[in-house]
Amino acid sequence: MENVLSVHNLEKSFKKTKVLQDISFEVNKGEIMAILGPNGAGKSTTIRNIMGIMYPDEGEVTFHGHHGEGIPRHKIGYLPEERGLYKNVKVMDILLYFAELKDYPKEKAKKRALDYLKKFGLEGKENASVEELSKGMGQKVQFIGSIIHEPELLILDEPFSGLDPVSQEVFKQEIKELASNGTGILLSSHQMNLVEEMCDRLFMIHQGQKVIYGSMNDVKAEYANFKCTIYGNNELRQLETIPQVTRVEQDGLTSILYLTQDVQVPSWIKQIPESLNIQELSVDRISLHEIFIDVATGQSIAKEVGDSHA
Amino acid sequence: MRNSFKVGKWEIKRNIKNKSFIISLFLTPLIFIIFATVPNLLSDNEDQTSATKVYMNDELGVWEMVEPFIEDDPMINWEVVPTTDDWDTMEDRIATQANSAYIELNEETIDESVVTYIAGEGLDPAFDGQIRILEQPLKQIQLQQADLTEEQLQLASMPIHFESIETDEGATGEIEEAEAGLGADPFEKGIPAIFAGLILFSIVITGMMIFQSASQEKKDKVAEIILSSVTPGELMQGKILGYFVLGLIQVGVWLTFALPLAIWLLEDVPVLEYLFVPETAILVFIAVLGYLLFASIFVGLGATLEDAASGSNFQGMVMMLPFLPVIFIGPIVSDPTGTIAQVTSYIPFTSPTVLILRLAILDKWPWLEILISIAILLVSIWIFMKLAGKIFKVGILIYGKNATPQEIWKWLRA
Repeated sequence: MENVLSVHNLEKSFKKTKVLQDISFEVNKGEIMAILGPNGAGKSTTIRNIMGIMYPDEGEVTFHGHHGEGIPRHKIGYLPEERGLYKNVKVMDILLYFAELKDYPKEKAKKRALDYLKKFGLEGKENASVEELSKGMGQKVQFIGSIIHEPELLILDEPFSGLDPVSQEVFKQEIKELASNGTGILLSSHQMNLVEEMCDRLFMIHQGQKVIYGSMNDVKAEYANFKCTIYGNNELRQLETIPQVTRVEQDGLTSILYLTQDVQVPSWIKQIPESLNIQELSVDRISLHEIFIDVATGQSIAKEVGDSHA
Repeated sequence: MRNSFKVGKWEIKRNIKNKSFIISLFLTPLIFIIFATVPNLLSDNEDQTSATKVYMNDELGVWEMVEPFIEDDPMINWEVVPTTDDWDTMEDRIATQANSAYIELNEETIDESVVTYIAGEGLDPAFDGQIRILEQPLKQIQLQQADLTEEQLQLASMPIHFESIETDEGATGEIEEAEAGLGADPFEKGIPAIFAGLILFSIVITGMMIFQSASQEKKDKVAEIILSSVTPGELMQGKILGYFVLGLIQVGVWLTFALPLAIWLLEDVPVLEYLFVPETAILVFIAVLGYLLFASIFVGLGATLEDAASGSNFQGMVMMLPFLPVIFIGPIVSDPTGTIAQVTSYIPFTSPTVLILRLAILDKWPWLEILISIAILLVSIWIFMKLAGKIFKVGILIYGKNATPQEIWKWLRA
């Protein structure tokens, strides 16, 4: 697959603290790549270093063979986490300004702006003042602003924050469509369910360092082991004796049994002791959401899995 | 640079379409006109009603000699009533009339060199000075009666002139100017200076808009989107450029109001002739330098503040810098070549205003001082642009708080 962006050994310090350390990943043409991590993990800093808003202390950002300040930034679209619009201007004026800054032809930009406004249910708003827009409408206009110039790489920092479910769906569909048309997309988000649904690959970062990097399927296969949730009055000690259980979390009558990576679910179920009190039982995979929380709270499922192997 | 132009163009377009900019654009000259004309109208009325009534018992025919001069002199507003009534009757009459006087001119005046007059109640205080216009003709009569030859008479009645001859080539021109300069026209130097001052004032005002704009950019959180396409330096330059043009547009609009008004008010002054001289170009150049200096300070400062209203004392003090010269106006006007005037010409924050002020007053321009001042200004502009760039780069991307002076200091040293 053609490589659009590659980040190599990125390092950045603010004063004495290292906020990024040895960050390396790639974004390919037509793929949606997620960069995940808790607040303050270094996602936005990584993105700002890619956009040339900051420059890394070490390492290199390469876009289509261009490095550092030579990166043709008009081929990149960017929706920052902290974003807004000038207040007392017309929607169309600000979109055309964004297009002009990217050296995109005015007439084409106008047409694209109108098309997208229509697509996002903002038809007829092109002459409205930005002040008159609701927050969600404003977000849509910002999104249009970031893609108006047909970028080859689109960087979206928390594109879903503050959106209602309907708008989230609209954005999700549009992002998928852009990717299928060949745009490389780097996306950061806290909405794990959305990331799980739409992303091809992910890079998880914690305290400025890589935690997980790989394709969504690989990550799920590696980290998203099976877990068995049992509702019933059972002894913790007894649950822990069941084979292939790495860890048990108990909260009242609910017990969650984390299973080893190589578990075969049907055969494992057969060996559940008959003495257990089971009112309800379910087996499913650990979700990305749970992996994220574990990473963020420092428990790290990945680590425990490794420990159990050892 | 191309990106700076784009940013500049946008800032111009955005403001031109903004209602409050348009309103202030037209309201400001309107306020100026009101301030310029209303007191004039009021004082005009006052002049008409307050002509001093002067009863003149003139046995010497002096009045006929001075009458044409008095009519020409805008400073003297007399309504002269010839009279032959004696001192006592006049004393009673003057006592009952406000702003009136009685002057007696006869042989006794000539012999004793004393003009006696009765000053009524509420007499214009300027009357003491105005009455001196009678001195010259009385002296002449005295001399005529002294039986002098024509030559002696001429010599005696000729006032003493003081002429300076300088060693450099410009000397002859200097004298000519000095001779013509007795009634020297304050407008000749004043109009280019007023013009430059207007430009400086206007662009300092738009400079403050730069501050607003940088701070607003932060508040609206647009900065990061823009910075994904342009560098912080380009964004800053674009703002400085854009607001410079806005300032010129403002001056242009104001001038379309001010010029016809000035031409109308100052009927006898060839306003346009005085305006289009090489001096104007230098003064305007100084004004532009002043703008660049303050604009770079303000754009950096604006990037440190999210909410202009919550700025600390530090930022407030910096905002007051353009008004610093106001403190020195008194001493400079009274002594335009004095130490204070010279020193403030060399301090970058005061030098644009002080220079324009001094050059308006001084007949002979201190070229060396002007050059040094301009050099200092150019260097400071370069330094402040660098510093502002550093502050702007970091400040514009910090959200949710205002920067403290300590932080700003840290950015500057980075």
